[in-house]
Order: sequence, then C-alpha cells, then structure tokens
Amino acid sequence: MRHPNQATLALHAGGDLGRIRNWWTARHLTRCAECREEVAGYTEMRELLPDLADLPEISWNRMAAEIKANVRLGLEAGECVRSAEMPSHRASLTGWRAVVAFASVVVLVGGCLVLERPAPPAVHIAQTAVESTGDGIQYQDGGDLMLGLMNGGAQKASYTLGAQGSMEARYVDPETGSITVNTVSYAQ
Amino acid sequence: MSDAIESGLELQERQNRFISLHFRRIFAQIYHLVQNVADAQDLTQESFIKALQHQEQLKDEQKAAHWLSRIATNTAIDFLRRSGRATFCELDEAPESQSESPEAILLRSEHREYLEDGLRLLSARERAALIMRDVEGLPAEEVAERLNCSKATVRSHIANGRTKFRRYMERRKR
Repeated sequence: MRHPNQATLALHAGGDLGRIRNWWTARHLTRCAECREEVAGYTEMRELLPDLADLPEISWNRMAAEIKANVRLGLEAGECVRSAEMPSHRASLTGWRAVVAFASVVVLVGGCLVLERPAPPAVHIAQTAVESTGDGIQYQDGGDLMLGLMNGGAQKASYTLGAQGSMEARYVDPETGSITVNTVSYAQ
Repeated sequence: MSDAIESGLELQERQNRFISLHFRRIFAQIYHLVQNVADAQDLTQESFIKALQHQEQLKDEQKAAHWLSRIATNTAIDFLRRSGRATFCELDEAPESQSESPEAILLRSEHREYLEDGLRLLSARERAALIMRDVEGLPAEEVAERLNCSKATVRSHIANGRTKFRRYMERRKR
C-alpha cells in the first residue's frame, strides 16, 4: 500500500488539500490505521495552536494615543529625510573619482608616515628673574642686578605677577596722589 | 496659507482615523507573529508609517486594509528574520483574567511557553503561514495574499510548519 507523505497528511488535517488529493487521502485513511494516527496527531496539534491567539490585557486607548503620536513623528522625520535627499544627480565613487580619492588617501597616509612629527619646543630654565623687593621691582640675570624700579616712597604697592614672567607694581604717590604702574618683563 | 494649514489638519485627521480603524487588528496580527507586546507595538507603528507614506494607496478602504495587513505581515517577518528568533513576553505580560488562580496562571504561562518554544523552530515564513492559518483561521488564499506568494507555496509553508511543530511536540512528550 502506498502511503501519503507527511506533508499531505499535515495538510489533510487542516482541510488544506485540493479536492482530488483530499478524496484520495480520505479514501486511504479509511483503510490505514497508521496514517489515521498521524492525522490525529496533526489534528491534536492544530487544536492547541489557537491558545496563542490570546492577547494580553492592553490599555487600547493609551496604545492608540502612543501609536498616533509616534506615527506622526515618523512621518515628519520621513518628510525631513526626503526633502534633504539630492533630487536627481548623485555623485558616485566610481571611475576616475575613485582613482582620485584612492590616490588622495595614499598621499595623505604616506605624508603622515614620512613627515617627522614636530618636536615639542625645548624648555630652557632661565636664570633670569624678576622679583619684587621692599622698594620696588628688580630684574636680575645670572645673579646680577640688571634693572631696579623703585616705588618712590610709597607705603603700599600691589604687585601682579604675569604668566610670562612679567611683574607689575601699582602704587599711589604719597605726595602727588598720582597712580604709577611699573611693568617689568623680559624677552629671550 | 490657511488653506494649506486646513488641508494639513484634514490630512492628519484622516491619518488618525485610519490608525484608529485598523490598529487593533494590525497589532493583534503582529502580536500573534512576534508574541511580544513591546515589539508588536513598535512594528505596528512601523507598518502604519510605511502605509501612510503612500497616501495614494489608501483611497479604497477595503484595498487599503488588505494592503496594510500585507505590510504588517512583511514588517513582522523582516523583524523575525533580523532578530533570528522571536522574543516572547514575560510571565507578568501574559494574558490573565482577574478570576484566575495563581496556579492556573502559572499553568497557562507554561503552556504558552511550550507552544512558543515550538514556534521558534520554524522559519519566519513557516511561522507566519502557520499562525495565519491555524491561529487566526484565515483561508489559505488570504494567507497567500498576505505573504505575497502562491497558494502552493503557502501550502508548502503550512505543511512544513505543522510537520516541524508536531515533531517538536512528540519530542517533548518523550
């Protein structure tokens, strides 16, 4: 006896065979207990599957509002993308463009590899010093006093040290009341 | 200017009506395939965006409904292919009714997990065909239309799906 294959039995269980195949399979099943058992197995399986149709408890109103809002955003984003797209001519990286691009990359990478990285500037510890004293600002080089700017008898002078090694003294002349600013800086 | 604003509002109103009319059905359809609420909601949104980007297809309501169903099915199948497998819901996300005892909830959850494990063995199209035919009860012709393939191909998917699922059930019985 020639048995129908598993696919035929599986389709027969769901009534999915064409009329002639269905009739032939049904006729076979009346005489074949083995195939009847197979079809019963498929039928049992089909009876279980509808359990997957259950939906979880959902707040439909909330979901509707979320979906509407997100769809709106999605459509607006799509509009933005479409309007930003080039209308017709798109430059493609083929032919001579590809050759030029490749050559540029090679030159760039080669240049980076060949060129020496600039050395950081050497830091010289200068022995030059600008400092404030009780009388004013002194500029010394190698321990020798090169310049001295006196505060001219002012009792209170305020000193400001610059980041570049400069120094500034501000004081009020006790006799005239005028403000004097002395700035000493040196250059290498 | 005001005409443009008005037509924009009208369009938005029409789109909202379209979503309200179909979103439950589309969500359910996608949920049956992916078996996960969050993914189903994302894919529902994606389907509506795809559909509403082609307003001209939505003039005939009946055709629009079929077209939307097809987009939803394809979107879900693409998702299943991309993710490699379905991501199924957590226990507390599973459907439940107030009257159910904790034991009944647990049993139902285990049963659902058992079925979902079986679905994982199927390809995306086999799963879609099997669910549309045996869970949603759609005729093979409509399944073919939604999957955009011939009835013979759908039959092949359904037969493969049933055979694989049944083998899985037999293995689990042993």
